[in-house]
Amino acid sequence: MAITLEQNAIAVTECADAINDKFSGTGISADIVQHSNAKKYSFVRVVSPPQHWQALAKWLKFDLGVNYCSMITGTHYPEGPDERGWGLAYHLLRQPISNQIPDTNTVYVAEKMVGSQIPVEFEVLINLPNNDTPSVPTVQHVWVGADWNEKETWDLVGIQFEGHENMFRVLNPLDSPDGFHPLQKQHKIRYHDYNEMYDDAQGFVRKPADEGRVK
Amino acid sequence: MAQMWITMGPQHPMTHGLWTLRVKVDGETVIDTEAELGYIHRGVEKICEARDFTQVTPYCDRLCYVSAMTWSNSYIYAAEDLLEADVPERAEYIRLISAELQRLASHLMWLGAFGPDIGNLTLMTWCMRDREMFLDLLQELGGSRMHYNYPRIGGVKRDIPVGFADRMIAKVKLFEKRIEEYEMMLDESTIWLVRLQGVGYCNAEEMVEAGVSGPNVRAAGVNYDVRWAHPYSVYDEVDWEPAVEKPTSVKGADCYDRYRVRIEEMRQSCRMVLDAIEKIPGGKNTNYASGDEMIYTKAPTRAPEGATGFSNYECTRGASQFYIEGGGEGRGKKPYRLSIRSPMFITIPFVAKTMIGYKVADIPAIMGSFDPCIGETDR
Repeated sequence: MAITLEQNAIAVTECADAINDKFSGTGISADIVQHSNAKKYSFVRVVSPPQHWQALAKWLKFDLGVNYCSMITGTHYPEGPDERGWGLAYHLLRQPISNQIPDTNTVYVAEKMVGSQIPVEFEVLINLPNNDTPSVPTVQHVWVGADWNEKETWDLVGIQFEGHENMFRVLNPLDSPDGFHPLQKQHKIRYHDYNEMYDDAQGFVRKPADEGRVK
Repeated sequence: MAQMWITMGPQHPMTHGLWTLRVKVDGETVIDTEAELGYIHRGVEKICEARDFTQVTPYCDRLCYVSAMTWSNSYIYAAEDLLEADVPERAEYIRLISAELQRLASHLMWLGAFGPDIGNLTLMTWCMRDREMFLDLLQELGGSRMHYNYPRIGGVKRDIPVGFADRMIAKVKLFEKRIEEYEMMLDESTIWLVRLQGVGYCNAEEMVEAGVSGPNVRAAGVNYDVRWAHPYSVYDEVDWEPAVEKPTSVKGADCYDRYRVRIEEMRQSCRMVLDAIEKIPGGKNTNYASGDEMIYTKAPTRAPEGATGFSNYECTRGASQFYIEGGGEGRGKKPYRLSIRSPMFITIPFVAKTMIGYKVADIPAIMGSFDPCIGETDR
């Protein structure tokens, strides 16, 4: 039992067309992209400017039925162009899940699912300008699941979520210094680009001198 | 009554790991909670930026120490998306078998840890006994009891050994009978029912909204499962159906439903591996050499800048996802950014809030029924 590629293609095309119709002229665009792993099914990739992200999120949730915010990834591109110093990738899913009447359940048969029942995967990409204060509107109030994802992204990558309530560090120690976000690229994990375990597993090479270098 | 905050954890039997639950109580009733995570944050995402794609696999094994095989498989699918690798069908079958054996071992670990929470110490010893069978099988594949480093980008490390199929069939068939023993012991045990039924309700929409996934949502009555919704491996070719429960209340699934759905899931995993081992291309008692084209296809080692890979995988606790951006150090030999979505990281704060309104004594039952694992939560 599994969703077939035809079902997937129909659902993905419908969603991408709906987004392109609704948001034409705003800078939001949706494409269909095919995975090259596993069963090679397709997903909808949406590119959105940061200022329209909240409107897009609300529309996805309440009109298109995208009910699941599974993952938020922030990326730092210190050497990127002016318009892209930080990237955000939101992974969203449309899942056919609803509340059940007591003593009943919904048993879907994948091959017989049609229309808006078919699960679809979305990827929303947002580029932020290359500066020291990246920020994007929060979607905490749209999906409850985005709450801790946003906390994690701020904690590790340092992207601000405007309007996010109750922001605090979730993975780093609570007393980490302000402005310390370890996944930013200026933090290196290799000591002086040299790592005994990998670069010199046998211990033959002399270690590089440390003078004049800041630890 | 006076209200006060109680700190449970980081060392507390309820936590099943290392985290803190701060509970505000009014007498015996929980009126507010806060979850505090991050005690064993190891920075896996940062470490992976300095490792090439093959070297990342063992780190993913260590994300969850009771379900290593599913986590490394999950990473491998994302890397295959990024590097555009083809996988032979026999390797996909072997991955399915290894992942489902791991699911059995992981659910047994969960049940074994959950029993003592509820007051059933016998369960611990029984589950550990049966889990040993599956660890032995996984050891035959990966060479280790815990961290296997078994899947490869483009296949698997080595083929199933000769005789593995017979041993596996015998063990799985024995375990199918043992599941009935568990049910006889638990479903008629007063203490089990009293402590699980009517406790920890949450309904399906509320859980999906909050990002909860996997067996916890299937307990609330919808058979949504990544294995058929976003298919990978060969789940469409083997005989199975997703485990699903019928919740008995409008409030959704309780702890008992979540226990039932995992028992049913173990039964489905047994059914799946028994079917897959018969259908495996190339024969179940053949052993191809490592690197043979039946089990491994050479994959590119570099990913260009701008390429991305994503996998959505049904891990034992819910949907685990990996997102990789190519074009890192070494002319694309390393990932530029690797991001991990852990199902429990999203679930634990949600579960903390569902405890509000129940008694302090219900906290271990509610928390345990969601199967927390802190290794993957903190990454």
